[in-house]
Amino acid sequence: MSQPLQGRLALVTGSGRGIGNAIALKLASQGADIIVNFFRRRDAAEKTARDIEAMGVKAQVIKANVGDPAKIDEIFDTIGNDWGHLDILINNAASGVGRSVMDLDVKAWDWTMDINAKAVLLCSQRASKLMEGRGGKIVSISSLGSSFVLPTYAIVGVSKAALEALTRYLAIELAPKGICVNAVAGSAVETEALKFYIKEGLIKDTRQATPAGRMVTPEDVANTVAFLCSEEAFMIRGQTIIVDGGTSVAPFATPE
Amino acid sequence: MSVEEQIREIVAKIVHVDKSLITREGTFKDIKADSLDIVQAMVAVEDTFDIEIPDEEAQKFQNFGDFVDFVERCLAAKERA
Ligand SMILES: NC(=O)c1ccc[n+]([C@@H]2O[C@H](COP(=O)([O-])OP(=O)(O)OC[C@H]3O[C@@H](n4cnc5c(N)ncnc54)[C@H](OP(=O)(O)O)[C@@H]3O)[C@@H](O)[C@H]2O)c1
Repeated sequence: MSQPLQGRLALVTGSGRGIGNAIALKLASQGADIIVNFFRRRDAAEKTARDIEAMGVKAQVIKANVGDPAKIDEIFDTIGNDWGHLDILINNAASGVGRSVMDLDVKAWDWTMDINAKAVLLCSQRASKLMEGRGGKIVSISSLGSSFVLPTYAIVGVSKAALEALTRYLAIELAPKGICVNAVAGSAVETEALKFYIKEGLIKDTRQATPAGRMVTPEDVANTVAFLCSEEAFMIRGQTIIVDGGTSVAPFATPE
Repeated sequence: MSVEEQIREIVAKIVHVDKSLITREGTFKDIKADSLDIVQAMVAVEDTFDIEIPDEEAQKFQNFGDFVDFVERCLAAKERA
């Protein structure tokens, strides 16, 4: 049986581990070849690539700090030379500095905004050129921190708000090129990043507080991303789909 | 300038400390570098010398001297290649 993404090429930024890893594996399971991008953890990225290849599709590992515009150019020059096109871009890589607003400085601001927001712009610009004439999908990963206040999450929240606004502008401006642009926002998702926040006591273990009865997993986010990359989602443009098990619409809910 | 001196300059600039405070036996903690300083220092050294310092290696560094030794080994390996 032919798979929905067979013959498509997807770049997933920050896909060695966490949510990016789940997205890369999900798209690969639907037949897409995957560019696995990483920043510091080559071992994790290479493991992801091996897992992808085991599904019978191709994987290419590219190390690049997406916070550095010159490195973004290197990623897309490589894809242009090696593949000549791109069908799907997932802006997943993110970093941040856990501080309250009053403790933020220029360095923390620039670091976080460069990786979480500026990279979304630059990657989308370069990706759209490789999608020219064939259309494509761009999905960026956001979080509830774009609209809600979480302790020490200020700069990441602000960067995600920029990402969501950019998603709307990109969706409209790239629509004539047949490129669908959307975002997926998760609440607390079970990953290394989250374990850090819980360990530091910065957020509560939200397991019991989620109306859906369990925490959001990387696979829950990946499933929504895969849907947005499918033709069934063609008419969804510029939206941020929230995957949170109901948490954000039931702020006053108390566990049974 | 030696490799060690170049790395010392990079780290001093990122952490905003005087170069003389960065000794081979000293650690990032000694110069009050936070996690962002450390990752920025790694990235700057990688870019300067065109080498790769994987996280799993960086985590093994006990002090500045280990960091310098690792970079020197990478450069030697690059020269041989
Ligand atoms: N976990 C949550 O609760 C949660 C909730 C909502 C939204 N999100 C969002 O979901 C996405 C993934 O989060 P996660 O929890 O999976 O994070 P994670 O476990 O901390 O992983 C972060 C990933 O991003 C990569 N990365 C970081 N800085 C990078 C850079 N400068 N250039 C390229 N790659 C970089 C990392 O690469 P290395 O492996 O090489 O370090 C890693 O693959 C992020 O956009 C995050 O904001 C997470």
